[in-house]
Amino acid sequence: MKAPLWRAFLRLFSVQGVWNYERMLGIGMGYAALPLLEEMRRQDPVGYREAVARQAEFFNAQPYLAGLALGATTRAEYQGVPGDKILRLRTALCGPLGALGDQLFWTGVLPALVSAALVMIAFGWTGVAVLGFLVVFNSIRVAVEWWGLRTGWASGLEVSQVLHKSWLPRAVALVGPAAGFAVGVALPVIGGWLVADLDRVVMLGTLGAAGVAMAMAWANPRVTGLRFTVVVATILLLSAWMGA
Amino acid sequence: MSVEVTVALLAWGTLVGLDLVSLPQVMVSRPIVVGAVAGWLTGDLATGVTLGVILELFALESVAVGAARYPDFGAATVGAVVAGSGNEGHGLIGLAVVLGLVLASIGGWTLNRLRHANATAVRRREASLRTGDPVAVGALQYGGLLRDLARSMTLSLLALLSGFALRTAPALPDWASTGLLMVVIGGGLAGAATGAIRNAGRGRRLKWLGIGALIGILLLVGGS
Repeated sequence: MKAPLWRAFLRLFSVQGVWNYERMLGIGMGYAALPLLEEMRRQDPVGYREAVARQAEFFNAQPYLAGLALGATTRAEYQGVPGDKILRLRTALCGPLGALGDQLFWTGVLPALVSAALVMIAFGWTGVAVLGFLVVFNSIRVAVEWWGLRTGWASGLEVSQVLHKSWLPRAVALVGPAAGFAVGVALPVIGGWLVADLDRVVMLGTLGAAGVAMAMAWANPRVTGLRFTVVVATILLLSAWMGA
Repeated sequence: MSVEVTVALLAWGTLVGLDLVSLPQVMVSRPIVVGAVAGWLTGDLATGVTLGVILELFALESVAVGAARYPDFGAATVGAVVAGSGNEGHGLIGLAVVLGLVLASIGGWTLNRLRHANATAVRRREASLRTGDPVAVGALQYGGLLRDLARSMTLSLLALLSGFALRTAPALPDWASTGLLMVVIGGGLAGAATGAIRNAGRGRRLKWLGIGALIGILLLVGGS
């Protein structure tokens, strides 16, 4: 089963290839499931079509952990588990895989490594920073994704218990504070690097702009750094062009 | 800029646009990566890195999660680097970042349209999907990737054209370009800090964010 597992793993890199508001990752999951269901196609063509239909149903999770659900549900197809039970398993996995994956990658590993890269850039190690970020992030991502697919495939219906007892919840608890720490270090360092060769008045003006933007974002969460900047910049540009 | 460099930038912008969501999500779409490579391609690595860093601060504020709407900084960073590279000093940095932010917002809007187009394609093949037709699943998958390829290429083309247009625009008065520089750096730092505080909540993470910030300030003071 190693070759189909490997092909399914490669297809997981495009699991969000047809992301939409109705089935979300569903079609991508169905596409990734096809190599794993290949043997079923030869043994039980009718069961195979039903399995493909189920695998392409609605599914949503953090994409790097989707393999866990893919492995578990395709294994369940081979174990002769009733279709409605497989669909319930898929639905039940959406929440935990979404929450754990988002905390592990989107608000954990990613900001931590980006922050580390920013600090390295500030110290003049641009090449190492950019390459190091890509290599470390993708090593973690590939390892977790492969682990997820293999663990799901080995666990079948037991995947929820296996997930609960795995290293994943502990890693999530650790990576959050680490990301907070890394972002905390990076912001003053990279801020200092960006204003290093500006004169004091411009430096103070930059700090002032940051303070006003943060105060406005605090007062109204709809105000983001991007919106603040675009609005103030538009006013500045209009003033410059009208004065010209 | 030569034709070869322009074509390479178009290809790079398209590739990073695809990477954001569809394929392969290896994070080459992050502004620090896009900016460094685009800067290297244009022969102005320093400006590429500076623009990548500033746009990365804005990108850190938004979490690109599932159904959330978020800006697409890939092609936007390429456009910003095209606009800002090859200039002495900080003259066009502020304006290039503003262009990047506008393009990133347009990119976010195109992502939303792509998702609706994907949904329409799925609805058209609903009957085949219900019968578990593997050909329909494959066709939808490749169709989705092709749509995102077209979206990314169009966005990159827009980014290049607007970047080139900005290079030929009349120079801003000094007070305006300095003001823009203050606003884009300040806005970026504020965005990244606000995002970090929101993500931290009120638990251990907030405490570690504070400790990190203290160490960052000490490093900054010690290094200057």
